[in-house]
Amino acid sequence: MVAAGWLTKDVAVIAVPLVTLFLGLLIGWLGQRSGFCSIGGFRDFFMFKHTRLLYGYIALIVGAFIGYLVFWLITPTAFENFFWLIGKGLMPVPGAPAGLTVAAYIVLAVVGGIAVGLIGVLLGGCPLRQVVMTSEGNIKSLGFVIGMCIGAVVYTAWISGLAVTLLKALGIA
Amino acid sequence: MIMAEIKAKTEEKPSCLDTLARNPLYVGLAIGLLAAFVQVLLISAGGPEAYGFCVACHTRDVVNVAVNDLAGTKLAVAAISQNAILPVMTVIGVLIGAFVSAQYYKEFRTKAGSAVSYIWYLLGGILFMIFALFMGGCPYRMGLRIGYGDVVALIGVIAIIAGVLIGIKIATSMAEREG
Repeated sequence: MVAAGWLTKDVAVIAVPLVTLFLGLLIGWLGQRSGFCSIGGFRDFFMFKHTRLLYGYIALIVGAFIGYLVFWLITPTAFENFFWLIGKGLMPVPGAPAGLTVAAYIVLAVVGGIAVGLIGVLLGGCPLRQVVMTSEGNIKSLGFVIGMCIGAVVYTAWISGLAVTLLKALGIA
Repeated sequence: MIMAEIKAKTEEKPSCLDTLARNPLYVGLAIGLLAAFVQVLLISAGGPEAYGFCVACHTRDVVNVAVNDLAGTKLAVAAISQNAILPVMTVIGVLIGAFVSAQYYKEFRTKAGSAVSYIWYLLGGILFMIFALFMGGCPYRMGLRIGYGDVVALIGVIAIIAGVLIGIKIATSMAEREG
């Protein structure tokens, strides 16, 4: 079965850049006003017991769940595998390298997560905050965003395949 | 004259909308709801699911599509960006939206760093992207995936918290050594 949302495929392929650009404009404005940051939320909580940003990240998870639940009730075809855990078990939503075992995905999530948290804290923010700070005139953050662009190509061209080979050699994948 | 009066009034008292926008609680809720709305609207163009907002993956899609077009390579991108006339533009929207907002509220300040710091941030960005894509997303998409019912994403966020704690330890010990 092909997933079907409110727009038909012919319209959706044209709407993708427009809708996502508008979504980005909105999130850019909100992010600039609020200083929204996921990793900053954890950092402020553990260092200063400040909960302001942490509650924002928790609200994102709650908001996403409510949104998926409500729209799933209205248009179930747009959310084929909601609620994921019930239909698909422990297998993650696609995004990481495809075709691995659950154990391999957990290893990738743990290794990736620790590194992401570590880098985020040392450089003062998660990727959204870095993008917003770039727009506020921070040249160091601009360096981070350029780094992300380079990292994307490096990852897709080389690292992704290497990681899968390594996981297979270790017998995890 | 009337315009000037309105402007004076808005400067006296911040608008209701701005009060909401300045509270991360409402911003987080809005991002989650909007991500679900984007999926119900656009999913026919292609998957994956729970892909409404992701700084890492959406940046990857834009960069890889651009490199594919310019250099004739075949770097992988998400199906939605492959099928659509242009890839997901969220991050470009965030850049513009935050810039306009910073200008409007007069919060734009050019902040320079040392040459060494630029190299650290550049390296940090490269490594951050690589490790985020190992997990299959930045912390935001992990949040969306938890809302969608993905247990591995929950493990990923717990790992992020562990990384943050290690980072705090390193940062405080570095600060103590410096004085």
